[in-house]
Amino acid sequence: MLLALAVCCTALSPLLRLYAVPRLVAVPADTYQAVVMEAEDATLVDYATLRARRVPRLVMVQSLRGDVPAARRIKAATGRDVVVWDTLVHAATSDGTLVSRIPERYVFDARTQQPVHAGGEHVDGTPVTRDGIEYKWPFFTEKRDYRYFDLMTRTSAPIHYKGTRTFHGLTVYRFEQTIPWTPVPLPRQLPLGVTPETVTAMGLERWYSTTRTFLVEPVTGAPVDGEELHREEMRWTGQPEKDPVPAFSGHVRMRADYVRHTVAQVAGQRRLILLLRSWLPWGLPPLGAALLAAALILEARDRRAFRDPGAHDGGKPERVTPAQGARGATATQGGPP
Amino acid sequence: MRALAAAAAGLAAAVALVLALTALGRPAPGDGPPRPLLSSPPAHP
Repeated sequence: MLLALAVCCTALSPLLRLYAVPRLVAVPADTYQAVVMEAEDATLVDYATLRARRVPRLVMVQSLRGDVPAARRIKAATGRDVVVWDTLVHAATSDGTLVSRIPERYVFDARTQQPVHAGGEHVDGTPVTRDGIEYKWPFFTEKRDYRYFDLMTRTSAPIHYKGTRTFHGLTVYRFEQTIPWTPVPLPRQLPLGVTPETVTAMGLERWYSTTRTFLVEPVTGAPVDGEELHREEMRWTGQPEKDPVPAFSGHVRMRADYVRHTVAQVAGQRRLILLLRSWLPWGLPPLGAALLAAALILEARDRRAFRDPGAHDGGKPERVTPAQGARGATATQGGPP
Repeated sequence: MRALAAAAAGLAAAVALVLALTALGRPAPGDGPPRPLLSSPPAHP
């Protein structure tokens, strides 16, 4: 029994690490989550007057939802486990007035988080082809730069590893990406029924710049906090001498209750992944060795007892029967001649 | 011989355990009605 347990424990180590973990550690296809971010004292453009105005708070709700049937279709066609996320970034003032609304579809490999070009990827209805990660880093994130897809420019750019720190008790990697001033398309949904065509007809074009920072828990690859210094301007097409109209300027941060919720969720997922990938695979072989040693010791004791029964019963002298005792006494006294 | 049988049993148990863990550890994704993408903040996380 002990030997069977010893072999079981020792065999579990490579089986967990090499078979179970690659199949279990993956992003589920039916994820649903929402994150709320806020920018205090932000600047927005008033499309009625084309003037900048200050708002006490801008709220951005970023929600994402896994499209399970689409993921199944792509798996059937490609053989790859993929995740299809439909996302929406909805920005509004604190009284609910729409600022912008950008939907997106993102298709990526469930294990590596690399984009999968299986059709259907878009940003605000415009087809795109990603070449970097978005929203989530790969499991066991490395201390190196990655390419991160920027929603506004619809291109990927390097996001740089900037160091390791502790955040709410978790060891996290800090990544930073800067997008220089770049012309970008206008969202299809704007306030006051304004359309991109209307803005273009007024002789304006949108320019954008940002510096975004993520704190990423490396085992899960999940960002636990993020912030962005986001700026947009409406510039006059072909008239660089004219002053641009500030369209948006704000320091966008994840709301504190969502930070706490995300940290708790990621910490639990981290423990589970480490249990399967590290703690059990490293802990089971020594346990197996201890069980094997115990099995061998007990076997050696059993074999010694089988060879030497006296030793087995504590070394007591063998009990003499009455017949044996009588024969022994006659021999001592000397028998008849 | 007895030791060999015990070792084989232990190995079989390890394989069965890992196969069961892998099969049960990835629940089939739900096909219920899709939840909405949000245009206002939820009440709580």
